[in-house]
Amino acid sequence: MLTDALGAMFSVLGDPSLLLLIFITTIGGVIIGALPGLGATTGAALLLPFTLTMDPVHAITVLTTIYVSATFAGSITAILINTPGTAAAAATCLDGYPLAQRGEAGRALGIAVVASTIGGIFSVVVLAIAAPLLARVAYEFRPPEYFALTIFGLAMLASISQGGAIRNLMGGVFGVWLATIGADATTGVERFMFGNYDLYEGLNFIPVLVGLFAISELLVQSTTLNQVFERISMKAVKLPTMADYRKIWKAVLRSCGIGTFIGILPAEGATVASMIGYSEAKRWSKTPEEFGKGAVEGVAGAEAANNAATGGAMVPTLVLGIPGSGTTAVILVGLLVHGLRPGPHLFTEQIEKVYAIFGAMFVANVMFFILGLFAAKLFARVTLVPRGMLWPVVLAFSVLGAYSLDQAMVDVYIALIFGVIGYLFRRFGFALAPVAIGLILGEMVETNLQNSLKMFDGQWWMIPMQPLAALFLVLAVLGISQPYILGYLSRRKAAQQQK
Amino acid sequence: MTLEEAIPLIVGHSMQPRVFPIFLMAVIAVLNVALIFQIVRSPVSRRDWEPIQTWASAGLLLLFFLLAKYIDTLVALVIVMFMMSIVWGERRIWVAAILALGTTAFIFFSFDQILQVRFPRGLLTDAYYG
Repeated sequence: MLTDALGAMFSVLGDPSLLLLIFITTIGGVIIGALPGLGATTGAALLLPFTLTMDPVHAITVLTTIYVSATFAGSITAILINTPGTAAAAATCLDGYPLAQRGEAGRALGIAVVASTIGGIFSVVVLAIAAPLLARVAYEFRPPEYFALTIFGLAMLASISQGGAIRNLMGGVFGVWLATIGADATTGVERFMFGNYDLYEGLNFIPVLVGLFAISELLVQSTTLNQVFERISMKAVKLPTMADYRKIWKAVLRSCGIGTFIGILPAEGATVASMIGYSEAKRWSKTPEEFGKGAVEGVAGAEAANNAATGGAMVPTLVLGIPGSGTTAVILVGLLVHGLRPGPHLFTEQIEKVYAIFGAMFVANVMFFILGLFAAKLFARVTLVPRGMLWPVVLAFSVLGAYSLDQAMVDVYIALIFGVIGYLFRRFGFALAPVAIGLILGEMVETNLQNSLKMFDGQWWMIPMQPLAALFLVLAVLGISQPYILGYLSRRKAAQQQK
Repeated sequence: MTLEEAIPLIVGHSMQPRVFPIFLMAVIAVLNVALIFQIVRSPVSRRDWEPIQTWASAGLLLLFFLLAKYIDTLVALVIVMFMMSIVWGERRIWVAAILALGTTAFIFFSFDQILQVRFPRGLLTDAYYG
């Protein structure tokens, strides 16, 4: 079986249609990632409905390719116009833009391309090794373990940097509540339908995700129409020199490990990984005073970590059905829609398809390396497209995407409503990824809680008495309290330093 | 029905369908109180009102809903795309018009011919589908 799986992984190289699809999607992903406001999650949410008629491997390949290429491409505008194309490139601005300001934009982009590729390939290798091993452990999971694991996944939302712990938890719980809309699966009792039978089967994920990410971003973009970007010109992307490699190799390797690990944690993702990768690169650097002024280690550390998180985030998504990030929440919906139900059985019954997806992710990392080296300057020009022309087109594709799922206008109206809800969330400081993750995990939480109660004859206190479930619940408590513990420790350290 | 007569929350081996949503709403209420305390301790700075383009964009989404529901989805898309380009600062009326008409036509024919997706009935689609 392993040889068949590895054969499927390498068979990607012999499939011209898949290679062409990866190439075209990589171009699309780089453009999406380079445009401020779009990003991997929005791009995946927009493209998901259009993959419905594709073969499952091709469809998931499109989504994962958008993920890896858009994550890298955020660095292009981060370096050239000091505006990250994706949230995961925010740390890259700190040293990438100063490098560009002193005429070294080509060097900064070259380092970003190389670091991103190494991070991405490292994480795909870890994914291919770790996912099947974790799947074997997951065979032992019963409903109490899955229930505790989903609670852990939701608790980790507290430590996503955007929004703050309380707001993120509220968003996650709100998402879980959204999943209760519709008829209860066990009893058929209608919940929160208000007499509308279009909601009998609950909210469809795709219109909600399209509304939350794409349409809300349209409204956010409308608030910054007067913003002017100071653009720095660049001749060509330059590969790092040997001196650059000597400076950055430790930061890159460290960030590969950090990014992959952070990605594996539920709900964290590339943004958290890039910030931790950057701060660790600074902490271990021999010249930390250069950070913020154009340190190449800063660019390398951030970019290696954010792309390493992409493969890591696919581990819990594929093995446990728990998204490792906002974008993998969208990919998880894609897996479900295409009949690839995440879990241990995916690695026994459909392992060839899984390894074909791994192979496609590997090829996508190589593709964006080539495109980034030779065409980054061209891709940077997409930011010249007036937003008055770009965003009406995004609206059109959002509407069509929401409609194409079930060919029902009610899904379009749901997308519009969630577009406004998503805007209001962002306006008041709430992140959207927790809502998406909560929505997707919601059914899993309730179903496993129901099944656990049935297992233990209604004695809910038996759940935390199961060893693995207890471990996940303890990790959940640590996850919720982590921001407060870290805040207390940093305040104590600051007070001691003042003394 | 009194509280005593009400069906218990956990019946037999499982829980009532209303239990989980009630629990979630209670958690949201508790988190709301915590958030209020947080804001009182560290007040958020005053926010400006949204610019007129944001209100207009939200209004265009409402207009799309009304036009799509009562006239035609494709007509709604063309009108809203055109108006959005103008509201967002596109001064070249012909560019906004071509963009709106061209994008909608491209989407319609590619969905209809390639993906075999039927659009909802309305003014234009009634004439097209017959």
